[in-house]
Amino acid sequence: MGTRRMRFSRGLRVFSLIAILALIGAMSGFIFSARSLELAGSLELAGGPRLVSYEPLPEMDGEMCQWVPASAAMSAAAFRLPAQGAGEAAGGPQARPSDAEVDEVAKRSPVRVIRDPNSAYSGIAVDPVRNEVVMTDENLFSILVYDRRDNTPPSARMTEPKRVIQGESTDIEFQCSLYVDPATGDIYAVNNDTLGKLVVFPGDAQGDVAPVRWIAPPHTTFGIAVDEEKQEMFLTIQDDHAVVVYDKAAAGDADPTRLLQGGRTLLADPHGIAVDSRNGLLFVSNWGSSNQRTRPPSDVQWRGAGRETWPVHRNFSVPGSGQFSPPSITIYPIDAKGDTPPLRVIQGLKTQLDWPTALSVDPQRRELYIANDTGNSVLVFSTEQGGDAEPLRVLKGPKTLINNPTGIFFDGKNNELWVANFGNHSATVYRRDAAGDTPPLRVIRSAPLEDPAPMLGNPHTVTYDTKREEILVAN
Amino acid sequence: MAHPQIAAFARLAEGNAKPTREIAGQKTLITRTIHDMAYNPDRDEIVVPQFYAQAILTFQGGVNGNVAPVRMIFGPDVGLQNPMRVALDTVNNELYVPQERSIYVFPLYASGNVAPLRILKGPNTRLTNSSAMVVAVDPMHDLLVVTGGTGGGAQGGSGQILFFNRTDQGNVKPRSVISGPNTKLSGQALFVLYPPRGMILVASRGQNRNHPGNFVGVWSIHDKGDVPPRYTIGGPNGMLRDVRGVTLDVRSKNVIISDKYVNAVLTYHFPEIF
Repeated sequence: MGTRRMRFSRGLRVFSLIAILALIGAMSGFIFSARSLELAGSLELAGGPRLVSYEPLPEMDGEMCQWVPASAAMSAAAFRLPAQGAGEAAGGPQARPSDAEVDEVAKRSPVRVIRDPNSAYSGIAVDPVRNEVVMTDENLFSILVYDRRDNTPPSARMTEPKRVIQGESTDIEFQCSLYVDPATGDIYAVNNDTLGKLVVFPGDAQGDVAPVRWIAPPHTTFGIAVDEEKQEMFLTIQDDHAVVVYDKAAAGDADPTRLLQGGRTLLADPHGIAVDSRNGLLFVSNWGSSNQRTRPPSDVQWRGAGRETWPVHRNFSVPGSGQFSPPSITIYPIDAKGDTPPLRVIQGLKTQLDWPTALSVDPQRRELYIANDTGNSVLVFSTEQGGDAEPLRVLKGPKTLINNPTGIFFDGKNNELWVANFGNHSATVYRRDAAGDTPPLRVIRSAPLEDPAPMLGNPHTVTYDTKREEILVAN
Repeated sequence: MAHPQIAAFARLAEGNAKPTREIAGQKTLITRTIHDMAYNPDRDEIVVPQFYAQAILTFQGGVNGNVAPVRMIFGPDVGLQNPMRVALDTVNNELYVPQERSIYVFPLYASGNVAPLRILKGPNTRLTNSSAMVVAVDPMHDLLVVTGGTGGGAQGGSGQILFFNRTDQGNVKPRSVISGPNTKLSGQALFVLYPPRGMILVASRGQNRNHPGNFVGVWSIHDKGDVPPRYTIGGPNGMLRDVRGVTLDVRSKNVIISDKYVNAVLTYHFPEIF
């Protein structure tokens, strides 16, 4: 490294202060996370001199000084480290630890674990024949079955489910939606991520049991709806901005029978799905981000090779084609396929859509129910609405107990509306036409309402905010 | 999953702690597949890749709730395809994004439709596909470190750690490689660097979920070839079952790890590496 000069725009006193802090910083070490250079603190230099070059400090070997508290920090911009080859810098090659030290560390337990011990309801459906309500639980990887008429007393910690499907054999992890066959009571549960399976259980299944059937749909399947009349199963695929349709009895790595995908569909990060077979309509909720795809040549090997109804995979997205659109409800003919535009689109500020996640439809009254996750609300639209329409009804407010709703089900037999609240360990049920800040008729809880809900679900990346001393975790 | 979010927890949080704040909602523009993010202490910002819109979002560091990013890199000239990972170099003010068998470098504080400053790409680089690749920059040693499989997809093949000069571009060979059966690397997830001690901590997944082979392995940036980790945290045969993220709380000498199967965030006290 050649000698560099330090220049400054103010007097010697300011320079001395910076130099002293630079020395402290060098001796104390720097935090470089995988994502950043984290200097332990910040020296406020706003409006003051900026260090633009420097004299390299002597190289150091051996142990570093004790780390400086985050509150005694320096600005990264004040320091420009000299380029050094590996093995020459501070903290150079060090002796390997002994086998005993390695063994001790490997057996060390965590000092703290952030983990919710309670079920977090994500998807919900009612079996009106058996008077049961079924929920998926993304926290403890289970499917829970309760009596539909259960109502957790305010003094009770929770309601015990009638049955729980849970364990290694079940292939259940991040189940985000489900469908209950009204005739048989069979439970169809969609794994959105890690296991890549849609699993089917008999209605009376419980314990650590294997599914009686599974389907391997495209990765990131989110919503499920079934047209019982035609025995067709509809699934939304987030990654592919697509809807695929399967025979309801499909199994294994079956091909979809239809595919709805393409720029004209306006599908964009689709989540919830509902079908109205009486009126021949298909509804999809979209969060709004998407990109364009090009189907690869036939000689390219991928899961969809030679399968015309398999959605074009993310590996074939067009670089730089990404888009952000407002959230929407797109409405299609129930038999739509290919790159078919929607009949109508509900979209705009008046709609109040805010991460519209799950859908349920009342074919008789032609009403569409939306679990509006970060809106903390249920929105109700006419299935004949479109454009920047106001909802017919909005169910929202502290008395409703609605909190990050991710599941919704309209029970036409009992004229009730069920909501799975991922944000507070509860499922709440209302009269069909409830609106405003209306308390639920009944509540089923897996924990006291006041218990915090970390809402961890599929935690992937983690980083550390040194300024606030906080752990940042992304689902 | 039903509900993406970036949740903040107090350093000492445990159990079913309530997040101190949560970034979520339509205005945030985030969605699923947040497979990486970065905190920039220099400007107090959080940087997050947006997979579907092919964008890199930057939020003010203390943001809470349904709040829009303060800026984003986004557009056809950016050329991103499926961005999952990011790395920041706040000394040299650069942003790294791995792509399909390549690494794109952008100005750290750029906004809008900006082209990359340089691209590392080519068969000599030994870079594999983007879903497996993770990058980090060590400006103290002027290194670009890349982890990922040796081929075969996110969980295919064995793992490798590649070391490049920080400013390498084009079709260059890595200056050194850690790879081989003794490393026990397979199905790698994220990693973190601690340059003052030349340490690299790699989250190593097994080939399947709920795999006893999960651990966080510690190597030195001076290690080369088929060398075992100097330490392993949380296993093998420990509590980790589907490890993904790893970061450092240097002040407390802690290593913080996320695990999908345990669906939890675990903090290990590990003063040996600091």
